Amino acid sequence: MSTKSVLGEVREVQLAIQLIHLGARLQFLESEVGLSRERLIRLYKEIKGVSPPKGLLPFSTDWYMTWLANIHSSMFYNMYQFMKTHSDEEKVWVLIKSYKLYLQQIEAQESEPILDFTRACTMVRFFDSDMLQLSTCRRCAGQFVAHAHDHKSGYVCVLCRPPSRAGKARGSKRAAGGEISVPGMESIGLAVESALDGGGLH
Amino acid sequence: MNVANGEISQEIGDINLAYMLLAQKLVKQDRVAAMFRLGVSRELADMLASMSLAQILKLAASNFLLCSFRLDEHASMSAVVGEGKDTMLQQAHMSILMSARSLQGRKEAATV
Ligand SMILES: [Zn+2]
Repeated sequence: MSTKSVLGEVREVQLAIQLIHLGARLQFLESEVGLSRERLIRLYKEIKGVSPPKGLLPFSTDWYMTWLANIHSSMFYNMYQFMKTHSDEEKVWVLIKSYKLYLQQIEAQESEPILDFTRACTMVRFFDSDMLQLSTCRRCAGQFVAHAHDHKSGYVCVLCRPPSRAGKARGSKRAAGGEISVPGMESIGLAVESALDGGGLH
Repeated sequence: MNVANGEISQEIGDINLAYMLLAQKLVKQDRVAAMFRLGVSRELADMLASMSLAQILKLAASNFLLCSFRLDEHASMSAVVGEGKDTMLQQAHMSILMSARSLQGRKEAATV
């Protein structure tokens, strides 16, 4: 995107500010906003008070399949799809709007957002590159995030058939009063995260 | 009997009015988000936004409820309501089903 005009540049800065507020990582900013890396870093420091974190974007589709993550991812992607279909705005603004809608929904449910902005954006890219798809649950007819070319028929969603340990973990989470213990996300999610942090490029 | 019927009509009218006013408020705040929440088409959203209070009042004073039941399939309904789910999960499930519903509605409308 060209940033030759003053107005164009103002728009880019506004976009960057929105994205930084939502928690976008530097790599994502660089790919979506037509400002130099130096300016983006300065903006980031000004808004967040700290330098942007280093490390790669999460890139595994497995995270989206774990129990609670799948529920949140499906909520977000359904919203995103709706917004994309019905809004005239640029894709990155559609992302921002749907993510805000997701946050509102979470707030109304009095729970914690599980899907952060970077993961939401990464998920959209996975869908665009045909690595993820929406599968229709045969019990509730809801559409849920699934690996592409998976479960074409007979799919039952994580809400209609929750894993047995999910119920137990939920109970203990409540008792702990907002303590972050994410049921069903232990093994895969954490393994991916630590692998990423360890191997951070740049 | 007649008195009871009159009361019902009044209640329906009240709900219609509250619903229409809320719908209009949502559309004026953010059209696309309102389309998502209400499950209405863009054309309908625009129309709602442009309606005068007089028009809304006239429309609301009806014997028919203007808002329809959106979980209109028994399977979906029982999936959300059943099995003593906790509130957060129920809300999340509702959100996922409602999004799909709105989209389905739009797709059907588009192919007609
Ligand atoms: Zn289901």
